[in-house]
Amino acid sequence: MRVPVPLTLALTRLVAHASRLAGRGSGATLPGALAQRLDPGLAGLLASRLPGGTVLVTGTNGKTTTTKMLAAVLAAHGQRVVTNTSGANLATGVTAALVADADLRGRPRASMGLFEVDEAALPAVAAALRPRCVVVLNLFRDQLDRYGELDTLAATLARGVAACTATVVLNADDPRIAALADAAAPGTRVTTFGLEVPAASGSSQGTAGRTTEDAQRVAPGDADRCPRCQGRLVVSRSYYAHLGHYACPNGDLTRPSPDVAVTALGPATTAGSTFRVASGDTELDVAIALPGTYNVYNAAAALAAAAALGVAPDTAVTALRTVSAAFGRFERVEVAGRTLYLLLVKNPAGLGQVLATFLHGAERPHVLLAVNDAAADGRDVSWLWDVDLAGLAATDPVVLTAGSRGLDMALRLKYDQIPARAQPSLRAALDTLLAELPEGGTGYVLPTYTAMLALRALLGQRTPTRGEAAPAVSR
Amino acid sequence: MGVRLTIAHLYPREMNLYGDAGNIRALVQRLRWRGHDAEVAAVEVGEPFDLAGADLVFGSGGQDSGQAIVGPDLLARGDELRAAVAAGVPVLAICGLFQLFGHGYTPLGGGRIPGIGVFDVDSVGGGERVTGNVVLDTALGRVVGFENHSGRTVLAPGQAAFGRVVRGVGNDTASGLEGARTGAAIGTYLHGPVLPTNPHLADHLLAAALRRRGVDEPLAPLDDTLELAVAEAAAARPRRT
Repeated sequence: MRVPVPLTLALTRLVAHASRLAGRGSGATLPGALAQRLDPGLAGLLASRLPGGTVLVTGTNGKTTTTKMLAAVLAAHGQRVVTNTSGANLATGVTAALVADADLRGRPRASMGLFEVDEAALPAVAAALRPRCVVVLNLFRDQLDRYGELDTLAATLARGVAACTATVVLNADDPRIAALADAAAPGTRVTTFGLEVPAASGSSQGTAGRTTEDAQRVAPGDADRCPRCQGRLVVSRSYYAHLGHYACPNGDLTRPSPDVAVTALGPATTAGSTFRVASGDTELDVAIALPGTYNVYNAAAALAAAAALGVAPDTAVTALRTVSAAFGRFERVEVAGRTLYLLLVKNPAGLGQVLATFLHGAERPHVLLAVNDAAADGRDVSWLWDVDLAGLAATDPVVLTAGSRGLDMALRLKYDQIPARAQPSLRAALDTLLAELPEGGTGYVLPTYTAMLALRALLGQRTPTRGEAAPAVSR
Repeated sequence: MGVRLTIAHLYPREMNLYGDAGNIRALVQRLRWRGHDAEVAAVEVGEPFDLAGADLVFGSGGQDSGQAIVGPDLLARGDELRAAVAAGVPVLAICGLFQLFGHGYTPLGGGRIPGIGVFDVDSVGGGERVTGNVVLDTALGRVVGFENHSGRTVLAPGQAAFGRVVRGVGNDTASGLEGARTGAAIGTYLHGPVLPTNPHLADHLLAAALRRRGVDEPLAPLDDTLELAVAEAAAARPRRT
């Protein structure tokens, strides 16, 4: 006999409340799991009652930021959005968010659902929610102990894409993602986003004959081969990691010409990005308060989804301007007369982008790399050795390491001839970082996920004042 | 008088998924810190390479799809590789390449990939993925690392293992053994990467390579305080954090 919906909702809310009182985080996992147990169809039922339907955002890097961008866009479009947080992006978290939004009779207060979804969880969540739009950002090696191979994960994403009912938004510059167009159900539209600007680096044709030390200057590729025929892709342009322009030599995969194309990029600053986007006949000038090529991609994804959801381009662009960084990702904290940037890192592609965006060309920057190995961080820290540190080494940095794998991080740096001092605790590391920074100086804190949570808590104890986005620092 | 070793890095493009390029970094840097040097040559699928000139051979793991691509290429180089092993060239073969240095690997979906039989072992895919921190007891001392594999490898009677599992799973769920060892060739599932964290293992491989090049003096000791601290900390991590 099915548990009556109001009962499930009431019980779940009770548990969520108790969970929060007990200090167990946002109180999403337990209540979400309970709701699923009592009524496995509840999430789908609640989602079906959202007049504007649901949008899912997935991918290795950028889910949280792109979701935040889309939330602002949809709000500007007059939608009341129910959403989840990055700490709750599994099925349990999505369910908990829907439950929290609904009244006791199971009617949602929101008009639309917008959820970031863990890559492995996408098929189940998409099957339950029947989303009108699924946005797939990228696929990079990340927590391989949890996710297994990239090919497997791509196949998982394909099952999620197949459950989308109206529009699939894909990154044209990521071969595995572009190939997910194969998985879109008949009758659904595929829309793509990507970069069309000249690249910083030229083509990378292969490593045969080159010493692998040269090859390591480019981090090992996550998408060297055509997902359809396994032929070696010919890369003509490289934006970062494996994102760029590619073609299968056997003609099995051609990079789609992006529907939302970034055609010009303003000068790189650490304050944010300006760029021009071509979408159909329209050209838009976009400014966002988030720096780095990776955030240009996130914004392009948000614009592509916005167009698919019927948001006027001007509305979307205006909304994007207001978006500040998601917590832990380019968070600026003023402490004891110094400025600290908190820059979450999770995998080689992300760490590479953070280093390139914030530390490229810096002189003797003060850096704290805080590496934990809890489940949420990735328990296998081998990934640190897939990161290209040549750029960092060139800045002659002052580096501290910390976290449960702070010693491993120091060892990684040692083999790139970068002196680093492992600290006995996160607190000690923060103290040392601040003590070594001159008055008014800027420190860069690069933590993995749980280290980021812990450091934010420590900084909270110091009652920091949150800064606004920094004025441009030209390099 | 410094020696320049040639390190043959097998299939760095296809087989590079688990940070194992760090092993190359460790080998090269530890040579340089002793006044020697290394040239690291990438051996790619379809590209000719004279393995007779290699002083040390290294290869690691990747995806099943990568293994299917390198398998036939490795077979074509089988005679050269077996000759190198017989001649005492040190080899470190990790994960997917460990499997292919055995008799072969059969993925979960079938489609056996024959190997070159340096190790008298056979591997099958499938089953639960085995992941977690590992501590081994080996003839070279304690070795710590991280395993992440769904493959299972069985040693034929008479095939020496690399080590005995103190904590972790190892080659399969029954034997308590990890990896394989034949002459100067070592196969293992351990990531970490295994050489930076276990410098005595790196130096063992380097010393074997240098001796073959006429360098008999023992390697000058390096300050491995950090490495030892990392290994201590890694050994103390829970199996699953």
